[in-house]
Amino acid sequence: MPLPDQPDGQPDVGLRGLRVLVDEPAEAAWNMAVDSALLELAEEPTLRIYGWQPHAVSLGYFQKIADFADLPDGTSIVRRTTGGGAIHHGDELTFSLALPASLLPGDIAESYVLLHDAIVRALATIGVTCHRATSGKVAAARPSSRWCFETPVRDDLITDTGKLLGSAQRRTNTSKPRVLHHGSLVLNRPQHTPFVAAVCDQVPITESLRRVLHTRLIAELTKVLGLEAQPGERTAAEDAMAARLCDEQFRNPAHLHRR
Amino acid sequence: MRPDDLKFQKSHEWCKIDGDVATIGISDYAVSHLSDLVFLDLPAVGSTVTAGESFGEIESVKAVSSLYSPITGEVLESNEDLGDNLEWLSEEPFGKAWMIKVKLTAEGADLMDGAAYDAHCKAEG
Repeated sequence: MPLPDQPDGQPDVGLRGLRVLVDEPAEAAWNMAVDSALLELAEEPTLRIYGWQPHAVSLGYFQKIADFADLPDGTSIVRRTTGGGAIHHGDELTFSLALPASLLPGDIAESYVLLHDAIVRALATIGVTCHRATSGKVAAARPSSRWCFETPVRDDLITDTGKLLGSAQRRTNTSKPRVLHHGSLVLNRPQHTPFVAAVCDQVPITESLRRVLHTRLIAELTKVLGLEAQPGERTAAEDAMAARLCDEQFRNPAHLHRR
Repeated sequence: MRPDDLKFQKSHEWCKIDGDVATIGISDYAVSHLSDLVFLDLPAVGSTVTAGESFGEIESVKAVSSLYSPITGEVLESNEDLGDNLEWLSEEPFGKAWMIKVKLTAEGADLMDGAAYDAHCKAEG
């Protein structure tokens, strides 16, 4: 079981770049397959920004599909490899980080603090105020709802109206521990989720704002990771693995219904 | 109190070998770093685990981590009560929080005794 800061997982001396991938909105299964391929294969730390077409619901890895029988027919549903609760993916800024665990300091909680504080700063530059949940009833250690955004837990990003960012991780690999970190920042509130805070509560969502937010997010994440952003593309091997995982795992009903 | 007859691997799983049966769990160090455990997935009896490969998964609040087997063999027992009593991992990580018992075929290559494992943990900080 990999933990942060294992000696075997120390980054290479020359590891200074953060590959940045900006993808068009895509099918839920493909999105999760690409992230899994990046976790497995990416040779350099990678930040991927993407969206969802059609809009979809992703379940946390351990959640039971039977708990979502009330979703409308035809809803696109996928099981993530990361933990946490289910998310309605509508108009949001979704990102994944696939990188050596050694690039994130301390334990799991500390890694959330680092990344979430970076996002707080990125949002502040566009006039959006939020903060990490640190005390009070929103700081419960264990979520009690099936929905990620309904019950903020410690260090989640919240506003006065609710939770603004959903985050989850998967950690893997014994010899070189690695992390896949998922983030879902709500731009416009999805239907049927009145409990969700959204960027649109504080600033109008324009195409210009989306572009600026991408830029600021990349800037703040690279800063806290001590890396330099480098626009890039997926490799042929990553695409091949993503295609295989998409068919065999994420589009496979057996995977969705495994719990 | 940690028994002195355990072997460890760097990824923080332990095993206790008694004849041809190995009992496997995760260390107190691992439990203290994960904290707030919420879900556990263990292999079915009769399945095979392989040294160095994942045999299960554990979710702490907002991170799913793989569990890696220190040995190769067939699963004889799985601690079915542990998933509903994850606090056992904090209370008795080397006792009632054992995860699986395996009919031993082969040990992993890099297993450590307790002293070497302590040094490994200390190096991690």
